[in-house]
This record gives sequence, structure tokens and C-alpha cells, in this order.
Amino acid sequence: MTKQSEIERARMVEMFDNLRADKYTLKEYKYIGKKGPRRTDGLAKASGEADYTMDVQLPGMLYMRFLDSPYPHAKILKMDTSKAEKLPGVKCILRYDDPELAESANLGLLPIFQNDKPLDGIAHFEGQPMGAAVAADTEAIAEEALSLIEIEWEERPFMLDPIAACEPGAPLTFPERYMDGNHWNKGVLDEDIHSDVKKGFAEADRVIEFKIARAGHTWICPERPCGVWKWNGDCPEIWLKNQRGYVAKKYINTWFGGIPMNKIELHMLYQGATFGGWTHTDWNLGGLYCAAVASGRMKRPVKYVFTRREDFYGSSMDEGIYFVKVGFKNDGTIIAVDSILYEVNAIHPVFGPVLHLHESTRIPHLKGQTKSIWVNKGPGVAIRCEMLGPVLTQTMVMDHVADELGMDPIEVALKNDGCKGHNMGWLNEKKKERGFEVRDSLKECIEKGKAEFRWDQAWHKPGTRKLPNGRMHGVGFAWTHEWSDSTGSGEIAIRIERNDGTATLLGMHCDSGVDAENTYCQIVADELGMRLEDVHFNPQFDPGFHLNSPDSSCGMSINGWLARHAARTLKQKILESATSPSSPTQRGSFSPAFPNTSPEELDIKDSVIFVKSDPSRRISMADFARPMALQGPLTNTEAFGTRNAWMEPLCAYAYHTQEGEYNPKGPREKCCRQAHFMEVEVDTETGEVVVTRVVNVNDVGKVINRMSCEGQQYGGSIMGMSRGKLEEVVHDPVTGVMLNGNLIDYKVATIQDVCPISTILVETGMGYGPYGLVGIGEDIATVVPSLLAPAVYNAIGAWINEFPTTPDKVLKALGKI
Amino acid sequence: MNKEIKKYVCPYCGEGFDTTEGLKGHVFKTHKGHGLPVSEGGIRLFINKAEYELKVEPNWTLHYLIHDVLGLTGSKQFCDQGACGSCTMIVDGKPVLSCMMLAIECDGKIVETVEGIAAEGHPLIESYAKNHAMQCGYCTPGFVVTSKALLDRNSDPNEEEIMSALAGNICRCGTYPQHVLAVREVAQTLKQEKKQVRG
Repeated sequence: MTKQSEIERARMVEMFDNLRADKYTLKEYKYIGKKGPRRTDGLAKASGEADYTMDVQLPGMLYMRFLDSPYPHAKILKMDTSKAEKLPGVKCILRYDDPELAESANLGLLPIFQNDKPLDGIAHFEGQPMGAAVAADTEAIAEEALSLIEIEWEERPFMLDPIAACEPGAPLTFPERYMDGNHWNKGVLDEDIHSDVKKGFAEADRVIEFKIARAGHTWICPERPCGVWKWNGDCPEIWLKNQRGYVAKKYINTWFGGIPMNKIELHMLYQGATFGGWTHTDWNLGGLYCAAVASGRMKRPVKYVFTRREDFYGSSMDEGIYFVKVGFKNDGTIIAVDSILYEVNAIHPVFGPVLHLHESTRIPHLKGQTKSIWVNKGPGVAIRCEMLGPVLTQTMVMDHVADELGMDPIEVALKNDGCKGHNMGWLNEKKKERGFEVRDSLKECIEKGKAEFRWDQAWHKPGTRKLPNGRMHGVGFAWTHEWSDSTGSGEIAIRIERNDGTATLLGMHCDSGVDAENTYCQIVADELGMRLEDVHFNPQFDPGFHLNSPDSSCGMSINGWLARHAARTLKQKILESATSPSSPTQRGSFSPAFPNTSPEELDIKDSVIFVKSDPSRRISMADFARPMALQGPLTNTEAFGTRNAWMEPLCAYAYHTQEGEYNPKGPREKCCRQAHFMEVEVDTETGEVVVTRVVNVNDVGKVINRMSCEGQQYGGSIMGMSRGKLEEVVHDPVTGVMLNGNLIDYKVATIQDVCPISTILVETGMGYGPYGLVGIGEDIATVVPSLLAPAVYNAIGAWINEFPTTPDKVLKALGKI
Repeated sequence: MNKEIKKYVCPYCGEGFDTTEGLKGHVFKTHKGHGLPVSEGGIRLFINKAEYELKVEPNWTLHYLIHDVLGLTGSKQFCDQGACGSCTMIVDGKPVLSCMMLAIECDGKIVETVEGIAAEGHPLIESYAKNHAMQCGYCTPGFVVTSKALLDRNSDPNEEEIMSALAGNICRCGTYPQHVLAVREVAQTLKQEKKQVRG
């Protein structure tokens, strides 16, 4: 007979690249989905005891800082570091022409950075860390030394505007990488053609065209980018601010002729936010590489730190100009959308502007093209998240059509809901085939949201409601599918500790703040039948297992499987062990904890193993998990008349993998939806937009950690409205210099910008993750920025298709400036 | 005319004496009970109720002194220019941005950091954890310290007063709504405690 633990392992493999509903959910949940478990990191973070990489100090540690290019495009011709070298406290200066610095190294997650120079001699944007790195006794000394370096530069022509950079004869912005022109991705991951848009426009009753402009915004992680490298002989010990421990190790493994994986000791402490961004840039691991070289030379640990300003160089993947053409019927049915996005510095432009329309509507004819244009600014990378562009397009298409027809945008949404060009009837058939209960996710989200928002009373014809305070009132609506479909894989192990029978999760994982540790513990506690307080997870050290990291939107749909399968396999192992003889040695063995009982007759609840038919026959996990055989000659229990009843270690591991489905040809249909509502007041004298109310409704399939989900909703809404109305990185067009690389001039939302936010979670179970869940971490912060346009339009009756929606744009739209 | 150089200088006030006996007599007479004198370039301050005598460089900020030199790493550096509130400490009862204050200015001052607030068992710590008033947690100590300073001067702040007090603290994860809940909850607790004491 096949053991249940083996059946559980077979089920684990069955779920790889999962394409159907979870058939093996639990009958009852004690911790999953319940409100209340306190954050495991709560006390440490509130009391200041939580240590971040920025807090690391080691004896003899040196501090490394980097030279920044003062020009947007320039080459170093000559460099004199002699004055800097003489500054007391300076210990090591690395130069771009250092013969020991590799010509190229793997420096990032993205393929484009996998063959870069750790310390380049050519800058492609102002502020680029390059040319020289100084290790000194203090950061202040390193900074002073950098100012003493004398450089002769060759200034090169630069471009900031993506449209101008495409014109024939435009100067090359990055000739070393893109010698054929600044539009570098011609024919490379640039088109997402669904059908015949010409035919679609011919069939349409009406066709409209509009242009959207989105200024770049950036991640603003509170902890400055940093890391520490310490050589212990030929084994590096590394502390790293980075959201992907395994990926970092994978690249470090290739450095210096190859460092064996088993010699790399990595610490991933609490992370002062990640949001993608910084992790994807080349100067992230480039900094670490330089620290490694300096540490080797000086035989001292080296901490590299980037400045707050340096952390501003990098933009979201929605920055650019969008040209959109939409054909639709008079009843609101959209027939065709053709969109071209001139995207600034996108380094993997695989996500065309119509991707979300493809995934979550019935629109039969779609064409989306992303022209990635390299200009002399920092790279555009995924920042909570790479779907910003497609979501922006979807919101603007839906709301412009509603406006043209004078329809309620919610009606337009429901009319066009679907999947991959097919209607809801087709999608419902697919839901059945996949084994999901057939539910109308968008309708459920809208009903709940409308009721909470009182939409029917709030929505009105554009520019028609003036409030007693003199401001214009407006409301906006946006929707799309949920997402959890990134490529990912992960591994985890769980062991039962001896002596007290507690459970420890083993796996390295970036703490991005979403309380993921608690979430995995909730799953393991419910699956194992243990008390939540008996399950612990410290993801900061490296036991060799790595979870999919971070827990953005796709952590739960990957790591949730890991936690569950490891726990189920372990539970069966425990039950099998409890019914088998223990201490099997050549001298014999002890009788089982539950003699003459089969594993199927047992269960575990509240950390107690018991016989289901006779719960009085029970043993606590603490009593069951015996100590390890005592160690040392004086502990020979047999000499004292007893024999040490040790038992085998109890542990299990699990793994999961899925190919990413952000791909028009991917086999999954997205069934869960989200809907968001925003109310604004617009001061027509000053142009100020005040967001007064937000309602978030997310169909997460199944809630695991309720407070964490709600945290992603209100937190994402606040970040979203900050991006939508405040955030933009400004460059001087004359010099190419960033003008607001600091937190005084770059505005982000404060507590004073916060309005009432209602968070509603819907659970249709139509996700491909365990228990039918989907992700939530990135969705809201990605969708909410787009809401500013329809809400402000509803208030003032004039479209502002440029983001962020700053007061000057409002006044311009009103014809006042 | 050159001032006469005296051989023995009082470490408290700088007065010069020709003999050790003279200096000794002066110290006993003038500075009795003054504690140990602070050396040149040094400051004396009280951090979380403990007395420190420290020699500081003139360019050190209070944050650098406490975080990097003393190793009390609860205070966090985020913006490094007085824009975010993450490095907030309470100095002589008022919340200050420790990245904007020079350590040398703090001679004789009473400094309270998040470690001190936690050590005294202030209910804010539990309330922050319970209300998930954090995500990545990097800015959290700054919020806790600012909230403590608010509660010290106003034990029952309303929502508007809390939002006003925390207006200078930036949380990129957007946990703002929970801070209001956490602080209000502590205010209620403090009120109950007061009632019980009265009762």
C-alpha cells in the first residue's frame, strides 16, 4: 500500500505549472483567513530591534562610496586619484581602468545586465555610479575622497525625450549597447498582435484616438541600497539589501573565476522595502562586486552604500508616451484597440500596452506595440509593478469609451469583461473545465464596491457637481484581473524540533514587509494541526533552500504550495513515525507511541497527536518529539538502567515551479477580478486634487492572512494615489541633470494625504494557487494611479491624459493657464 | 602682553593654578558634587536614562553618534536631510530629527530613543505590532518615537492631532491608517489606566 506521505509528494508534483482548481483544500481552517494573528516581526520592528543591512557594523569595517557621473552621457578620458589617495582614512580606491576589475560580470536579474562592467568608464545617465569607488574608514571620508578625484571627461550628446530620440539622425544614447539606434527592440519582444485591428475598426460604430503621457516615477525604498562583503578565507560572508537571495547567489557564484555555492554565506536581514526597482539594476550587484574586490585587497569587511540621491536613478516601466486608438459599438462593446507605447528605457519590454485588455476582456481585435527607447536616464525596471502600463491603457480605454457614449463606466466594464477576446460564456466554460466553481468575479466585486462607495449616488455627468466648499466633485472607476502569474520556483523544508516539538520552516526569503512569514506559518499550522505559536519561520539565514522571492504578487501562488506540501508530507511522516517502533538500532527498538494503530487512525490538532476514534489516547508534539540521543560518556542512560529512546529526525521538504503566464499564448485564463473606486474634490482655482475616498475590492480567490491582504489594499492605494497625483522624476532638459533626487523635491504621500479607504476582499476560489488563491501585493498600487484621470475628468469635465495629475495640468485643462 | 601660562588647569572651568594643591583646593571648593569633568571636545548627555560622556567630532550628527558610534540602531536613516522623520528622537521632551542635529549641540540634553521607549514597556510597541502599523518596518521606529512625544504632551489626541503630529514621517509602504488606530488605542489604554488610578 502506498504511504500517504508518498501520495502527498505525488500531489505536489501534480501541481507544478498548475492549470486547474485545487482539488485538495482543507475542510476547516483555524488560522487561514482569520483576522488577528499578530505579525511575527511586529515587536522587533516597532521596538527598533529589527536590524537591516544598513545597521550592520563589523570590526574593522570599511565604507565604500561611488563616483557619480555629472553628465548624462560622457566618457572618462583621464582620471587622477592621487589627491584622494593621500586623504587620511582612505584605504582603497578602485578605478574603472583597474586591471583586476572584471571587464564584465553577471550583475543582475535581467539578461541585459548579465554582461556588464562592475565599474564602467562611460556614463549613460547623469548620476550613474561609475568610474571610481573609494573604501575608507567612514562614509564621510569616502565622500570627501571622491570630491578630490580629478577627471577629464569627454562629453557626448544626450537625449531625454523618447519621441525625439527615435527620429532619424538622433544621437545614439547608448552606442556601446545599442549601436543601431535608440529604439533598440525592433522586432524583439515588441508586439502583441491578437487579431485584425483594421477589420475591427471597420466594424466599429465609432473610433477615437488619444494620447497618454506618463512621467517617470521611482521606488523610494526607505533603506538605502547597501551590502557588506567579508572574506573568511576563500568563503565570502555577505549581507545584502536585495529582494532575491538565490538570484544574487547564482551570480556571485560566477565571480572571480567561480565561487562554489556552498562557500557563499548569505544573510538577508529585514529589507527596508524593495518594490522590485533597485534589485533589478546593474549597480546593485556592481556595488557588491567592488566591495568584494576591496575587501580582498584590504583584508577587511567592506560595506558599500549608495546615497539617497543615487537611489533615485531608475524609473517605472510605464514611463513614456502612449498612442491609443479605440473602435467601439454604440452600446459600449469595444471592438478594437491599437496602442503604441514609446517606453523609456524598458529593459525587457515584453508587456505590451494591451496585455491586460487581452487577459481580461472580450475585445476581439487588439494590437499593442512597445517601442523601448533608450534615453539618457536611469533604466526603467519593474517597480510594483511591470503591469503599470497595460493597466493604465485599460483604464483609459474603458473610461474614454464610457465618456464618448455618456455611459456609466461600470456598464462598459461589465459589457466588455471576458478573456482573450472571448465573452463570459466562453470564460465560464473554461472555469468549469478547470474545476472552478463558476462565479462572476467582476460582477461580485462591482456589487460590493458599488454598495460600499454608494456609486449610484456618487456618479454623475462630468463637471456637473459643485460642492458647498466650492470644489468640483468627481468619481472614478477602474478594474482589471488579479495577478499571480509570474514565473517562479521555490523550495522549503520544515523540521520538527527535538525537546519541545515545535516546527521550524527552513528557507531563505526576502522580507518585503508583507508579513509573509506569518502567512506561511498560518498554512503550516493549519496543515500540520499545530498551534500557530508552535510554528516559526526566520527567513533571514540561508539553509540552502530558497523560496520564490519576494512575496510581491506571486509569492503566495508559488510559496503557498511549498508550505502546504511540505507540511502535509511532514504530517504524514509524523503519523507514520507515531505508529512505528522508535529507536531502531541493532539492540532493538521501543514500541510505537500508538501501538497497533495505523497512521490513518490518527490526527493532529492544537499540537497534539490523538486517535480520532478515541481522543483520550493522545500525546503532545512536545512529548512525542524526543531529545536527540544524549551525547558524551557520562550520559549513557543504559548504564543507569534505562535506554535512551531517541527517534529519527522529522523533516520534509517541498518545491514548486511555474512558467510565467504573462504571455498572450499562455494557457491559463484569468478568472479573478478587482475593482477600485475613487472620489476626488478638485479646486478649480488652485488646480489641487484632493482624494477624499477610495474603495478597493479584490477577489483574492482565498484569503490566507487577512490583515496582510488589507495592508496591501490600503498601502497600495496610498502609494497608488501618490504616484497618480504627486510623483515624477524631473530632469533639466538643458543639462540632463535630475532636479529632484531627494525627498523634499520629489513628493510622496504623507499621512496628511490619506483619506478613508475601504478594503473589501472577495473569495471566489478561482485562482490557480493553493486553496484557489491569487496574489495581491502589487495590484492595487498599480491600478490606483490610473484612477486619477477618470475621477478628475468626472469632476471638471476635461480629460487630463498626462500623469501625474498635478495642479498645473488641471489648470491647463480648465483653460486657466 | 602675553597672558601668564599656568601649569595646572581646572578641567571644569579652565582656571589656571601654579600648584596641584591650588587646583585641588579650587576643585573642592568650586566644583564639589559636579561629577567628572568633560574632556575637551566632549559632551555629556543622558540617553534612555543612562549618563554618557562622549568625545564627538564636530561634524557628527546625533543620529550618527547614537546609531553608528553607540550602536543603538533603532533610529533609521531614510532621507538624510530632515524630510522623512525616520531618525526621530526625543530631545529634552521634543521630537527632533536626529540627522539634522549635531551631536556636539546635545551637551547636557536628555535623549530618548525607540530603545528607551521599548525598554520602559510603553504600550505603543504592542499596539503597533497588534495593529500592523508597519510593513517593511524601516520607518516604524520613527513613527513610534514621534507618537510617544505626542502622547507625552497630549495623552488623548484625536485623529486630526495624530495626523498632524505624524505629518513629517514618511511611510512608503502606506501604513498610515494603522498609525492612527495604534495611537488612538494607546490613548484609550492610558485613559483607562488613569481612571483606575483615580478609582
